[in-house]
Formats: sequence, C-alpha cells, structure tokens
Amino acid sequence: MSVNIDHLKEEHHQPSGLMRWITTTNHKDIGSLYLWFSLLMFFVGGLMALVIRAELFQPGLQFVVPGFFNQMTTMHALIMIFGAVMPAFVGLANWQLPMMIGAPDMALPRLNNWSFWILPFAFTMLLSTLFFESGGPAAGWTLYPPLSLQGGNSMPFVIFSLHLLGASSILGAINVIATILNMRAPGMTLMKMPIFVWTWLITAFLLIASMPVLAGAITMLLTDRFYGTSFFTAAGGGDPVLFQHIFWFFGHPEVYILILPAFGIVSTIIPAFSRKKLFGYDSMVYATASIALLSFIVWAHHMFTVGMPLAGEIFFMFTTMLIAVPTGVKVFNWVATMWKGSMTFETPMLFALAFIILFTIGGFSGLMLAITPADFQYHDTYFVVAHFHYVLVPGAVFAIIAAVYYWLPKWTGKMYNETLGKIHFWMTTIFVNITFFPMHFVGLAGMPRRIPDYAVQFTDFNMIASVGAFGFGLSQLLFVYILFLTLRQPVTAADKSWEGAEGLEWTLPSPAPYHSFDTPPKVD
Amino acid sequence: MNRLSILIISMLAPLTTLADWEVNMSRGVSPTANAAYDLHMLIFYITVVIGIVVFGVMFYSIYHHRKSKGAKPASFHESTTVEVIWTVIPFVILVGMAIPATKTLIMMEDTRNSEITVKVTGYQWMWKYDYVEDDVSFFSKLADSSNEARQLGSKIDVNKVDNYLLNVDNEMVLPTNTKVRILLTASDVIHAWWVPEITGKKDAIPGYINELWVDIKEPGVYRGQCTELCGKDHGFMPIVVRAVPKQEYTKWVSLNQKNRVADKSK
Amino acid sequence: MTGIKSTITKLSLAVVAMYGFSYALVPIYDTFCEITGLNGKTNEIAYVANDIKEDNRFVTVKFISNVANSAPLYFEPSVSEMTVQVGKPYNTHYVMKNNSSKQLHTTASPSVTPGKHAEYFKKIECFCFNQQTINAGEVKDLGIQFIIDNELPNDSGDIVLSYTMFDISNNIKETNKL
Repeated sequence: MSVNIDHLKEEHHQPSGLMRWITTTNHKDIGSLYLWFSLLMFFVGGLMALVIRAELFQPGLQFVVPGFFNQMTTMHALIMIFGAVMPAFVGLANWQLPMMIGAPDMALPRLNNWSFWILPFAFTMLLSTLFFESGGPAAGWTLYPPLSLQGGNSMPFVIFSLHLLGASSILGAINVIATILNMRAPGMTLMKMPIFVWTWLITAFLLIASMPVLAGAITMLLTDRFYGTSFFTAAGGGDPVLFQHIFWFFGHPEVYILILPAFGIVSTIIPAFSRKKLFGYDSMVYATASIALLSFIVWAHHMFTVGMPLAGEIFFMFTTMLIAVPTGVKVFNWVATMWKGSMTFETPMLFALAFIILFTIGGFSGLMLAITPADFQYHDTYFVVAHFHYVLVPGAVFAIIAAVYYWLPKWTGKMYNETLGKIHFWMTTIFVNITFFPMHFVGLAGMPRRIPDYAVQFTDFNMIASVGAFGFGLSQLLFVYILFLTLRQPVTAADKSWEGAEGLEWTLPSPAPYHSFDTPPKVD
Repeated sequence: MNRLSILIISMLAPLTTLADWEVNMSRGVSPTANAAYDLHMLIFYITVVIGIVVFGVMFYSIYHHRKSKGAKPASFHESTTVEVIWTVIPFVILVGMAIPATKTLIMMEDTRNSEITVKVTGYQWMWKYDYVEDDVSFFSKLADSSNEARQLGSKIDVNKVDNYLLNVDNEMVLPTNTKVRILLTASDVIHAWWVPEITGKKDAIPGYINELWVDIKEPGVYRGQCTELCGKDHGFMPIVVRAVPKQEYTKWVSLNQKNRVADKSK
Repeated sequence: MTGIKSTITKLSLAVVAMYGFSYALVPIYDTFCEITGLNGKTNEIAYVANDIKEDNRFVTVKFISNVANSAPLYFEPSVSEMTVQVGKPYNTHYVMKNNSSKQLHTTASPSVTPGKHAEYFKKIECFCFNQQTINAGEVKDLGIQFIIDNELPNDSGDIVLSYTMFDISNNIKETNKL
C-alpha cells in the first residue's frame, strides 16, 4: 500500500527503506502505518478473544486460571479499542482527509509522525505487562477502584501507556481539526465538505474534550495507589463511585468516537453504490453534531446500579433514550439514499449494508439498556456484552473493512479480487452473528460478565458463540490473504474506481500520487 | 444478517422449555422482577416492530432498486418534511416508553415499610448476611463440591455437580410475602448482589450503603451471582436465597440466632 | 499559517482545561453530594443546632456497622435501632475493640440510606469527625449525638445510619487479588 517514491528520492533526498517509515511526514505513508498497525493489533486482540472463547466453550476451567482470564478480558478490550479501532480510523483520516478537502497534507505533518510512533511504543509497554510475575492488568478496561488499586506491578505501566495513547489521540485530533478548519480548497464551505470529513471533525472535538478527562482519572488512580491521595477510598473521604463518574464522562463520548467515523464511511459508501446522493446531507450533519453533544450528558447509564438518587436515574434514562432519535434519523436517511437508487453490491456495499442492519440491532439492545428498571436486570451480564459487540464489530469494524475495500484502488491503484471479497463478507457476517447473537440469550438468562466459568445451563449458547468466534477469526485470515494478493496485482484501477464514487480523491490518479493537491483544486 | 437471526430464533423457540436453551429472562417471583420483565418485553416488542418495518423497507429496496434489474437512480436527496416526521414519531414512541419506565423505577426505589432488614456485605470472595432485627449473622460461600470441580484441571465432570457454581454452604433464608429491605455494602472492593428471579441488582460499595427491597411471592430456592468484577474469584461467589413461609422463617431464625460471627480473615 | 496556529492554540488550551475539569469534578461531586445528600453523605463537621424545634413526628433510625478489609476489629452499635422525635437531639454510641496485638489507627466513614434523606440527618458530635488510636485489646465507646432536621419530608420511612471502620495504620497495601 505504500506509494512508489523512487523519483522523489533523487529530487528530494527522501530516505528509503526503514528510515522512510520512521521519519515520514507524508499523510499517505502515515495513514498506511496506522492501518497496518491497527490490523496487527486487531489480530493480537483477536487472539485474546479466542483465549476467552476457548475457556468459555465449556463449563469448568480447562485452559487458564481465573486471574489470567481477567487479564485477557481486560487486555482484549484495551487492545481493540485503543489499538485496533481508534488507530484504524486515524489511518483512514490521514489517507482521506487531505485528499477529500483538496489539501496537500495534514496541517502538522511532523506532529502526525510522532502521533503514530507513540503507539508501537505504548503498546509494547502495555503488552509487556502480561509477562510480569504479577501479570497484566486484570480489573477490566474500566479500571474501577478499589479493585484496580489492588493491582500488581503492572499498574503504573498500564497507566503510563494509557497516557501515551491518550496523548497520541489528542495530538491527532488537534491535527485533524487544524487541517479541516484551515486547509480546505477555496469554495469548499463547511456544508460542502464530504460527510466523512464532517464526522471526523466532530469526532476530533469529542477527543479533545474527553481524552484529557481520562488522563485525569487515571492520574488520580496512580496517586491513590502510590502517593497517598484518597480520591476513591471512603477512608480518606473519597468515593469509588467518583471514579466511575469521571471515567464514564470520558467513556461515553469515547464510544461515539468509536462510531462516528464509521457513520461517515457508511454515508460515503451507500450513495456511491446506490448511484444517488446522500439523502438529507444537512440533516446528517446536524444529527451527528446532536449525537456528539448529547454524548456528554448520558454517561451515568453505565452506572445505573451504583445507587444513584432517583432523580439522577431518571435524568440519565431520558437523555440516553433521547440519543436514539438522531441515531434513528441517520438510519432512515441511509435507507432513503438506497430507495429508488440503482444499487450494485460490491464488497464495500455489502459491508455497509450489513452495518446498517446489525448496528441497528445493537441500537435496539442499547435502547433496552437505556430503560433503567430493566437495566437492573441487564447490567453486567452478557446482554451488555452482546450490545456493545454488535455496535463495535458489525458496527465500527465492518465500516473500517468497508472503507479499506472501497479506497484500496485509490491507495494502491490495484483492484482486490471481488469474488474473494464477497466470500470474506459472507463468512464474516455469518460468523459474527453466530458469535454474538447467543450472548443476548445467556445474558437474559442470567449469565454475568467477566467470568471464566459458568453454571451448566449456559453451556449450549456459549458453545455456539465460541464456535462462531473461531470462525470469525479464521475469516479474517482470508482478509489478510486478499490484501496481500491485491498488492501483487498490476496497477489497473481507474481514477474513478467506482461508477458512483464522488469526491475530490476520485479526480486524482489511482494510485494517488505521493504528493497530491500541491495546488488546491477548484471547488464549485 | 437479520434473516439468519430470525432463523436461529425460530429454530430455538420451541426449545425454550428446556433450561439449556433459555432465551429470555424469567418473569420472576416478586413485584420488582415482574415489573422489570414486563418493561423488558414491551420495549423488546416495540423494537421488533421497528426492526421489521425498517429492515422490510431495506430488503424491498435491495431487491427492487438494483442496477441489474434495470433500476435507474432517482435524483431526490432531501426533504425537510420527511426529516421532521421521522424525528417526531420516534420521539413520541420514546415518550410512550418513558412513562411506564419512570413509574416502575419509582416503585423499585421505594424501600419504605419493610418488615425485616438484612445487611448484605460483599467480600473477596463470599457474602455475609446480617439480619438486623432478628440477630442472625453468617458467611455464605461457594459450596465445596463446586469449588473442587472448578479448579483448573480438576477432571471432575461439572455436569454431575449439584447446581454447579450456584450452590453455597449457608443459604440466605427469607420469608415469603414479606417486604424485605436489603442493605448492601462491601468490605474490600465493589461487588454486586443479584438474584434475577427476585429483583434487579445493585452494587455493594465499600464504605457506603445501598439498598433495595424484595417481596418474594412464591416459596422456592432462587440462585444468583456476584455481578461486578471483584478479582480472580468474581465468578465463584454465588448467592442462594431460600424463600419459606413466615412460620418456617421464624423457626429458622430462632435456630440461628446469636450465631454471630466476628469478621474472619482469610 | 496563522489560521493553523490560532486553531492549535485554542485546542491546546481546551485540552488543558478539560484535564483541569476532571480534577474539578472532585470538589464538584462532593458539593453536589452535600447539597443533595446523594450517596448518603452527611455533614463532615459538627452541626450546630440553632433553629431546630421539636415536632410531632417520629422516625425510626437503624444503626449498622462494617469493618473494611477484614481488619482485626470488633465494631458494633450499642443499640440497633432507636425511634426518635424529629427536632430533638439524641445520643448513642458504637463499641470498638482492637482484636490484634498491635496499636491501630482507625477512621470511620458514615453513610446514610435512603440517600435523599441524608441531608436531614445532622450529626452534632460524631466519632467519625476524627481518627482514633486504639491499643491492642482495648475497648472504646465511640459516641455520636444527632438530630433529625424539621425539613425531613413527611412520608420518609426508616433511616439507616451505617459506619464503616477502616484500619489506616499503613496506608499503602500491595495485595495481589486480581
């Protein structure tokens, strides 16, 4: 996926080989770095998921001790959220945003390079804690005290690595906003920007507002553990619930950070393959902005069982239900885009359509969870696990995969094998449902989260889910095969690789030149 | 996709009578559990209807508006009227859901006029029950038969263990048809107490006191688990409530009174 | 270029401000809890009962106790419940015994439920306002004097006062329970 820069080496004394990748300030190179890194982390996190599902295949403990199982659930989440999904979206932003707005690169190219290279360093540190004698973090990715304060030697390393990851995201967000607000081609007003650019602009603001709050929360954990503060212990006048409030004030906007760029991708792909403009562009912008604003006043729906006063429970129930409205508006607009279009079903479109259906199913379980008195029965069970995996896997991950298939011809000039792509799609979609749909059932039947072993009545659905998980994992190996196969093809992709594709990037050659839009294009 | 999910559900629906294929929560044996179930089903049915409508439109469009079928793309791409309609209608549906939800929540949070009070304390990794008025106090931990079987490499067939992972040494006994106030706290980290058939869960937080109420209408044995990650044996500290008629409860109290246990270190 | 610089400056300030906001949430949370009685927080400094008058309502107050982290302490209320008249001060005490062979430093954390009534439970004197030092084998009576505020709503049920006693002799514990 890297652009051939031999001609540049003579003109600009560009380094080659390893040094090129370490020192690059080019948004295309950095986009590729983020995407490859994210793919690697997706497999690392996926491996941990398979350890979890292997243990949960049958009741009784067969493979791991409970303490290690808790490390797996904790690390699986941290890796997938901070190592796979977020870097993938940043990679897509890097590749696409400058081209989509007619800019030559990001606003701060060197900062861009640092933002990426923090990640391998931080994740090496995080993963290394698994090899400590006291093991890696095992209090859940949510790190609730007092449990997280009981942690072994891994705790300061986990916190430091989270600080680094947060810094990388914040620097990336500053870069994104600076680029979008200042470097659009003349004539491209905000309401003429591609919708993917809008969703990333809004996501970047969410990052700016929420990641520093996580930084504060984990610093408080650190000082509670090592420096004698007592933010979260009653003995010193503190409160464990305070952590949950601070954490989820970050945590809820975080989940929208994990989905808004996906919305932008779907809003790009559906119109392209329906050969019809996105229905309700303005509405989609306002809906995305409303979701972002509302995301700051719903956080306590993650904490309905802490013993909040009734008024608080009612308030957060109402605001959480309210967020269904702009989300529903987006789904309706996508369907209206398809309606009376002229659709073809290449791989990106298949993933985008599956996103709409399966994300909506995740949205329905989310609406059920919003109802506080019902949530008293769902909270901390597999019903919640089903919900968030539906919105994150056939949600965020499907959108990322769709985006890769969609823009691969632009990045590489090469077409992937459509038949293999479709096989990848069907296998992935079938297995994702086999894995996660049964989790609704066991959760309703009473199975708690974060347990390595369960009562025998939960066996059958757990077996099904585990089989699905292994199938899903194997299907992704096909994806890697497809990518490598594609890279070996000759360059054949047209500038406008898809009949219905719109946007400035499709006016460039495929593959896009190393430097593009050195002079801004005309936008009408 | 959705077709597959419907296929799975319809294949499994006749099997809901078998415990292993449980697809739904139980309606429960107390007013709060009943209310949670009823709300759950209401919201579920509403989302099913919405899903059928939305996915129905999608599937229709996928079939009819295909290029391979000769469909030519229309050019419409906005309509304020339509946007208003599909903003207002969902909002109205949500208000309709919010009303019963709020009523139920208020009912659940009203712990007044309870007849007995039990303080439940979460420990790593067991529960302690203190009956405040009746002066009974004991620890309750995972039964030995389950504890042996669950060890890694135990080679014991867990299917042969009685109520594997849901059995304890000392059961919590409560009288039926009595409003019981449960006070929750913890000794070390956050735990959560949950017996799904008798009520929704609440967190047990060290240094703080939470409360919920139960009124068990039918005698029986009800099992639950800790539902807040509390360390390595979070999955191994179950709860067993035996609900008995008032007379039997009184007898049990007198047998167990003054059996107070001082805090034990592990 | 200056457009970019201005954007970066504003965003960096926003980042710092949000970091500060997370720390500001600590006193905000405390103030919110005190004003509304959320989470069962009661007054942390002695209440001076100036404007309270006795009225005809009676409330049952239940007393419970907890020992945190299985510390070697016996800690129980002397009475498990009292029926009190609203607006009148009352005294009661808890009993604590050090079951270990070392001197311990302890502190108690109170919590009231229902949380919405915590603000009406005023402590005039409380052992929880200070830390305690208790020698090996020593038994201490820990007293409280409290009064229920007239503002208590009419339809309130019982009030439960709970204390959790913490051994804070060594503040940093490194146990590995994960």
